[in-house]
Amino acid sequence: MIMERPEATPDVAAAPLPNPRVRWLRWALTVLLAAAALTALFYDAFVHGDGLPYLYQRIQTFVTIFLGIFIEATPFLLAGAIVSGLIAVFVDQSAIDHYLPKAALPGALIGGVMGIVFPVCECGVVPVVRRLYEKGLPLSIGIAFLLAAPVINPVVILSTYSAFGWGPIFIGRIVFSFLIAVVVGLIFSRARPEEVLLPAVCQAHHDACCHVHDHDHRLHHAPLNRRVAQAFMLAGDDFLDMARYLIAGSMLAAAMQTLVPQSALLAVGQGSVISVVMMQALAFVLSVCSTVDAFLALAFTGAFTTGAVLAFLVFGPMVDIKSSLMFLGVFQRRAVAYLIALPLVLSLLMGVWWNLNLGW
Amino acid sequence: MLQRPRFQMAAKALILLALALFLYMRLADGSLFFYINQRFMVYTVLAIVGLVAVAISYRAGRVAVDEDAHSHHAVTWGGLALVLLPVVLGVLAPPQPLGAAAIGNREIAVSSQPRNVLPAAVRAAAQKDATERNLLDWLNAFSASSNAAQEFAGQPVDVIGFVYHDERLADDEVLISRFIVSCCVADANVVTMVVRWPAAATLENDAWVQVQGVLQPGAFNGAPLPVIAAQNVTPVAMPDQPYLYP
Repeated sequence: MIMERPEATPDVAAAPLPNPRVRWLRWALTVLLAAAALTALFYDAFVHGDGLPYLYQRIQTFVTIFLGIFIEATPFLLAGAIVSGLIAVFVDQSAIDHYLPKAALPGALIGGVMGIVFPVCECGVVPVVRRLYEKGLPLSIGIAFLLAAPVINPVVILSTYSAFGWGPIFIGRIVFSFLIAVVVGLIFSRARPEEVLLPAVCQAHHDACCHVHDHDHRLHHAPLNRRVAQAFMLAGDDFLDMARYLIAGSMLAAAMQTLVPQSALLAVGQGSVISVVMMQALAFVLSVCSTVDAFLALAFTGAFTTGAVLAFLVFGPMVDIKSSLMFLGVFQRRAVAYLIALPLVLSLLMGVWWNLNLGW
Repeated sequence: MLQRPRFQMAAKALILLALALFLYMRLADGSLFFYINQRFMVYTVLAIVGLVAVAISYRAGRVAVDEDAHSHHAVTWGGLALVLLPVVLGVLAPPQPLGAAAIGNREIAVSSQPRNVLPAAVRAAAQKDATERNLLDWLNAFSASSNAAQEFAGQPVDVIGFVYHDERLADDEVLISRFIVSCCVADANVVTMVVRWPAAATLENDAWVQVQGVLQPGAFNGAPLPVIAAQNVTPVAMPDQPYLYP
């Protein structure tokens, strides 16, 4: 059943032992960033002339936006955590081995459409993917699922349809989200799980031969109510763990929203390349839930190129500030960098291609 | 200390309960609507139920897995403290909706700017009586017209919003605004109309007012648009739901 894990890392964030210089650098960077943010706040406050009251309003705005993102995301994160707990207790590792393809391409294709069955948004998908990886899910399926599920699911498809109707943006969003997720999944299938996943997540991949630690929490002979209680406990652990990343991400997003004026991003609406980059930046900073971003994008359709709006709708759900911080709870840093960079580049290419060739 | 499973489980359960209590308090006093669209309230209710259920399971599950209750992703004290941060910030900073301070940082949708609006929203706005329309309805109605400034002139207006002084306005003009929230305040946009009123300068930023008047052709930032020539500007209490929902 449950056995002590041999190499348990106490903190997920501190995966390999960082040497003192790296740690020092990290601290210095954090302090520098905090100082920069504070300076920006104060400078702004005193330039506006109102001084302290203005600063107070700024902080209030920050708290309101931070709590807004957090309160909005909490139910979905909790739902994802509960699904993850139920998977941990009730889904057999051998079922995943048995029913899901091992090969990269079919795996990525299946991962791309799994959102239809597991309708989760970008907050809920992270704990589910982590649990599935613990159960030995192949890399490509999980990555494709992680990136595609926030768009390829019934709720988001419906909301996009009601905002844009049957048209190029609706079809483009679904098709390109799927394609980019599959391509990134394929690229990741070249890597070994232990290079990509955090040590705590990937031990199911370690030794298919000798299951030292079958990482399932199946209490085979326990009665149902006890197993459900176990699933909920695991859900609580998952929720608390992922909530840290959600909170850090919401704070970053709220700080960006308070400090960076949107007009700075929106000033350039028409260049076929720069408009796409700006909408991607906006999607990253806003960290809006994918279920409603279509309605938000609608407001930009007049002022921005279609390729840019499409990039907002494709890139935003895959990666934004809060979700990329949550990725840190599953993947190693280098892998997170790729997970941000690959969708960024691919959706940029898509947006620019759209602007140059279709030009609607 | 945190290594002791029982102690850690109790701490986790308490934190989950604290989050649930925090959400419940915001729900109970109505300040939840300062953060999210009303439509999402049901999810918050479900989250409260879920958090309590998960917290209780720590008690029920304790018997089952007492010895090996290690979690895979052991959370440190720092991590647990971070999870309490929303509660702490929420208690320290009294709940307050977005206001004038947030406008400077956002795109202001004044009726002069081209806006893409769902046809259904335009139709809904058109069906309402002129004095029944709120700020969002008016902007939706304007968006369907290519020459709103002339077309809507003379119609009576009765809207509520908060005051914002913009540098680009004349001395007898002020903006009256509301935020539109489709999901949570992270996606808030501003809808704004220009109000012409002799005593405009006496109004304070963030004050909530009811404006009654008539539409006139005017301009903001060089672009023609309908402005409200106010007959009455009455201070009012902030509405229970300060935001408008599209």
